[in-house]
Amino acid sequence: MSSKKNMKLGPIELEVIHGTIRAAELEIEAAVERTARSPMIRDQHDYRVALFDAKGRKLTGRSYSAIVEPVFEYFGEDNIFPGDVFFWNDPYNSCGGIGHVPDLCTTVPIFHENKLIGFSQVFGHHDDIGGAVPGSLPVHATDSWMEGVIIPPIKLYDKGVLNEAAFRIITRNSRLEDHLAGDLDAEIGACKLGSRRIVSLAERYGVETLEAAFEQILKNAAEIFRREILPKIKDGVYHYEDYIEADGVEEGKIHALRVTMTKTPDKIVLDFNGTDPEAKGPINWSLDEAEGRYFRKWLAPVLRSLAASPERAAEIDSNEGVLDVIDVVFPKKGTLITPTFGKPTGMRFFLMLRSLGVFAACLSKATDGRMPADHETIRIWGLTGGRNRDDFFLFREVLGGGGPGRPWADGSDVVHIVPNSRNLPAEFSETRYPIMVEQLALKVDSGGAGFRRGGFGYDKRIRALDDCKLISNADRSILGCYGVNGGKIGQNYQVSVIESGVEKVYPGMSDTVVVEPGTSVRVVTTGGGGWGDPLAREADKVLYDLQCGLISEASARDDYGLAVTLKGRKWTYDAAQTQALRERLKKARGTPSMFDRGEAFRAMKAKGMVRYPENWSDPDEGWHAVGEGASFSQAAE
Amino acid sequence: MNVTVAIDTGGTFTDVVAINQQSGAITAIKTPSTPSDPSVGLLDGVRKVLEKVGAEPKDLAMLLHGSTVATNAVLEHKFAGLGLIVTRGFRHMIEIARQSVPDGYGNSFFWVKPPRLVPLHLVREVPGRMKFDGSELEAIDEEETLQAVRELVEDGVKCIGVCLLHSYANGEHERRIGDLIEKNFPGVFVSLSSVVLPEYREYERAMTTLVDVLVKPYCKTYLQSAADRLREQSGDIPFLIMQSNGGVVKHSTAGEKPVTMLLSGPAAGILGAIHMATLAGYDNILTSDVGGTSTDIAIIEKQTPMYTSESMIEHYPVKTPMLDIVTVGSGGGSIAWTDPYGSLKVGPQSAGADPGPICYGRGGTQPTVTDAAIVLGRLPTSLIGGEIKLDLDAARKAYEALGRQHDMKPEEVASGVLEIAAVNQVFGIRKVTTSRGRDPGNYAMVAFGGAGGLFATEVADFLGMKTVISPPDPGNLCALGLHVSDVRRDYIRTMVRRQSVADISEIVSAWTALADEGRRDIRAEGIADSDIKIEYVADVRYFGEGHEVQVTAPEGAAGDAAVAHMWKDFHRVHDESFGFHYEGEQDVELVNLRVRAVGIQSRPQINSTEKVGAHAKPFGSRNVYWKGAGWIESPLYERTELAAGQVIEGPAIVQEYGSTVVVPGGWTCTADRYRNLILTARETQS
Repeated sequence: MSSKKNMKLGPIELEVIHGTIRAAELEIEAAVERTARSPMIRDQHDYRVALFDAKGRKLTGRSYSAIVEPVFEYFGEDNIFPGDVFFWNDPYNSCGGIGHVPDLCTTVPIFHENKLIGFSQVFGHHDDIGGAVPGSLPVHATDSWMEGVIIPPIKLYDKGVLNEAAFRIITRNSRLEDHLAGDLDAEIGACKLGSRRIVSLAERYGVETLEAAFEQILKNAAEIFRREILPKIKDGVYHYEDYIEADGVEEGKIHALRVTMTKTPDKIVLDFNGTDPEAKGPINWSLDEAEGRYFRKWLAPVLRSLAASPERAAEIDSNEGVLDVIDVVFPKKGTLITPTFGKPTGMRFFLMLRSLGVFAACLSKATDGRMPADHETIRIWGLTGGRNRDDFFLFREVLGGGGPGRPWADGSDVVHIVPNSRNLPAEFSETRYPIMVEQLALKVDSGGAGFRRGGFGYDKRIRALDDCKLISNADRSILGCYGVNGGKIGQNYQVSVIESGVEKVYPGMSDTVVVEPGTSVRVVTTGGGGWGDPLAREADKVLYDLQCGLISEASARDDYGLAVTLKGRKWTYDAAQTQALRERLKKARGTPSMFDRGEAFRAMKAKGMVRYPENWSDPDEGWHAVGEGASFSQAAE
Repeated sequence: MNVTVAIDTGGTFTDVVAINQQSGAITAIKTPSTPSDPSVGLLDGVRKVLEKVGAEPKDLAMLLHGSTVATNAVLEHKFAGLGLIVTRGFRHMIEIARQSVPDGYGNSFFWVKPPRLVPLHLVREVPGRMKFDGSELEAIDEEETLQAVRELVEDGVKCIGVCLLHSYANGEHERRIGDLIEKNFPGVFVSLSSVVLPEYREYERAMTTLVDVLVKPYCKTYLQSAADRLREQSGDIPFLIMQSNGGVVKHSTAGEKPVTMLLSGPAAGILGAIHMATLAGYDNILTSDVGGTSTDIAIIEKQTPMYTSESMIEHYPVKTPMLDIVTVGSGGGSIAWTDPYGSLKVGPQSAGADPGPICYGRGGTQPTVTDAAIVLGRLPTSLIGGEIKLDLDAARKAYEALGRQHDMKPEEVASGVLEIAAVNQVFGIRKVTTSRGRDPGNYAMVAFGGAGGLFATEVADFLGMKTVISPPDPGNLCALGLHVSDVRRDYIRTMVRRQSVADISEIVSAWTALADEGRRDIRAEGIADSDIKIEYVADVRYFGEGHEVQVTAPEGAAGDAAVAHMWKDFHRVHDESFGFHYEGEQDVELVNLRVRAVGIQSRPQINSTEKVGAHAKPFGSRNVYWKGAGWIESPLYERTELAAGQVIEGPAIVQEYGSTVVVPGGWTCTADRYRNLILTARETQS
């Protein structure tokens, strides 16, 4: 192969370099999946990979990732050598890039002719890293040390030499030592594969050309957001807030994430002042470091929903270039997203989703309601049991929820935000664990009603055939996913135990419930929020859902205003009566509000549980659905 | 005369290759495909090729056929009239699928789940439940089941898939439901999951079963009508159909389980590539079949292709064993364009066959990869012996326009377009090599398909591959592949057992039962016992893992020996596939038993050329643009004139009736006795 040093960067070179980086991201992912050990990584795909330039700027864009700033901050530019492997999981010493201890992060510097030209990085959610409960996500944790072993940034390999003491201490602290050791080898190997792709580009084009290409790739990404997305958002100042309903420790308290979005022609600034104080339980998320570079890259992809089509949205990369269009302002130390050192963070994924939700809601306000509604897709539930090490089992599923209603489509049913994260087949689970899957279904009526309704959540019933303990790490068991622009809230999460026909509901945050053999556990996951006015939904769509048994007759009448009758096995509707019914319902409700947070929230408000800080008022107040849902769908086409 | 004919039906053209069994002479032609009634094009192809070789219809000894009927039924979304019966409690099974959203993180906000194969109101649940060990937990209720079927039929269902929980372990309930439907609704097509794919994981089994039953009416009708017409003209001759597993079966067998026909065409091409590469002396190859819109890539080790049971057709998983082929959206018709941000892109949009590239003069207006090749002088200005004239001026004008957008000369931008097209293929090739722990440098690339020889060396360069083979008639390799195929059927049974507690005799008897079934079926295809080969394969994993690797028993090993080999060899295969193993540390778990039953067919003799000559003589020269070197008056050679052993140093172009092979500077091209061209990279390249 020819090696041409520092040729001029033309369109051919740029396309080959950009294409190679995109393909390398997929290749690193494939390598992780092929060689990792933890089911959480291999089957649930809970890991992220990225390539960075020598300044630590993220070049890849399919997916968010951790960041490499800790390498500079804890070692410095002069202390990075070929053969080094950097390693950490410390939520309070990773520049905001790692949120909870099961996420172990591996970073490999890339060298060409002894010059640092970039970094390759993988972090994954590992099965167990010690702490109070198997799986390292204790619901009742009150500090970081209960959650597992904490590793500040270290060199796991120093110029190619393994730090054996560190490796042994780390793996010894996991309940699944073999898994952890295997995963680490896999992640380091995958990073090195990514490095080779960047090195071969440097050999082909020379470092200068390569760096010019990196620069251009980041510029182009920012430009796409500036040209295709930002003009669709009206300049102005917008507020929103949403809640974590429980922290597993302190009862009867809800925790607000609050944001003020300021949109100017070229930029979006998200100010999180007003956010509630840090929680005693494990729902905090430590983000306030390195100018929020991690958090900004986490948030930016939300903007893709405003692209010209879902296909176009999927093409848009969010690499380091997005920092040009999005900025964050943190509140002072001591809030949910600026917790003081050592506050527990295991279930920080509630805030991850809530942060996307509050940003999306501000965008809804600024786009006449053109954004998707809310959806909640990360929660973990499972059954664990066994008397000794040999028959110990952990049956654990990461179940998705209904996707959001949006102008262009109903929400997809039971989807997961992590790409390619899969549920467990009943035939696999029954063969492997002492359980029987009695029902695998969608929850009727769970998707929020709307012109485009929310997707449906699960309604899964599993009978325990042996003594088990129930694990549930879930939020939104009281407050469902909000609806937008006249769309209704989706139904909430619920976990219950059914014994002799009696159903007993447990909190979403539970890990001490005993399940007797022969009793059944029922897990209902969230429906997505609805989008647009349900009374404007096309009658044939309502009828189809009813015919399929996905919505009830009551919902068809009360939510959608369809005058339906069952003739034999077929549902039909009467057009004239429907029109009358819809008119009546419209009159009774008045102009719907922009957001629907449901009855449970209204009840909390009435009880005085919702308290606004100084300089803050109800962000829903004064915001109404804009126009008929139908008119938006035409505009969207 | 005694003639065997192979026909590969593609979207636009039907490729026909006849072999005279006495003389070994090969005759290849192309005819237009007839998508509205493919059997017309099929019989037309037979007639035309027999005429060309001067044979009568009665001289036809055998017809081998690769067909896209099954694939088209799925791609054209002919889903109407499909119904599904499942176990009570699982009615939403295919709505839920595996909950996974493709591509990037957070796409769940905007991604729209594709429509399901069967709308939910045409899914019925019935009582009756099996346990994973095959024991019955609850009996079925014939009355209730019949009522469910009756309602489906009333609602317009004509094809029913039946997929009950744990039917892979005990198919009795499904069989009884199948009998009920057949007895009471004789016109309705039925597929039972325990027959189509007795493998666990209910969603994937249900989808495979639904795809099978949805293509059944199309395939059965087509194969039957083709067979009838064939019988009229040529009598009762073997009519064999290529399956996605790279083997052929009788047309009647294929019609019973038509899901196996999905990748018929690409599979045949791979067989053809293996055959020609073997003749050239290469056992480990990477095949690259470059078509108009896409390129199919596969890896072959020791002349043996890889299999997968993880294929998707559109959004729907199909788990029947297929040759492991990766398809990338990059081919001769891929369009070069400038995006709104000024970046130069190639594909994924394609001009396809209609209108095709600009130079074809059939209304194409956007510059394609093929247009770049003609602008650079790689392609001649007429194809297929002068039948198709290419419009160089129109192609050049388009590249002048594209060049202006990037401040480049037309030949510079055209050369860049080929480079980007090559890189797009490189990414696909890495998926089957580096992504699976293989070094592409250890393989020779066999480049075929219409555009296979145009930029294969550029692809090889990126990957550090040193050898590119261009087989003769690279556009007809699929049809040749049909001629060198064996009869092949696959059998599977899920049997989840841990090594530490497994009853060996139970495994042996299940495996033997599969083998017996295979032997019986292959015998029924008309193969003699001495030509039947049984391969024992097992899907195995470490207990606790969610993914399996395939272990194949050595030839001749069966019974206890095969089981012992499976437990032992698993660790080695696991290490080879994933880079680690836990031999002696962790319990091993068997998941699926498989049997591959093969009926060896005699290979046609491919004539070798006896021609020898000291030096290859060019028949002319053409100005060709080479990256880095610029325009060079480069020699042109006619492939059919080359004699074995003749060597051509690049830069040069080798042409033949249906294809062109480009030999850049730094590469050497050697002809062999079978008209293969072997291109090798010289060690010291600039």
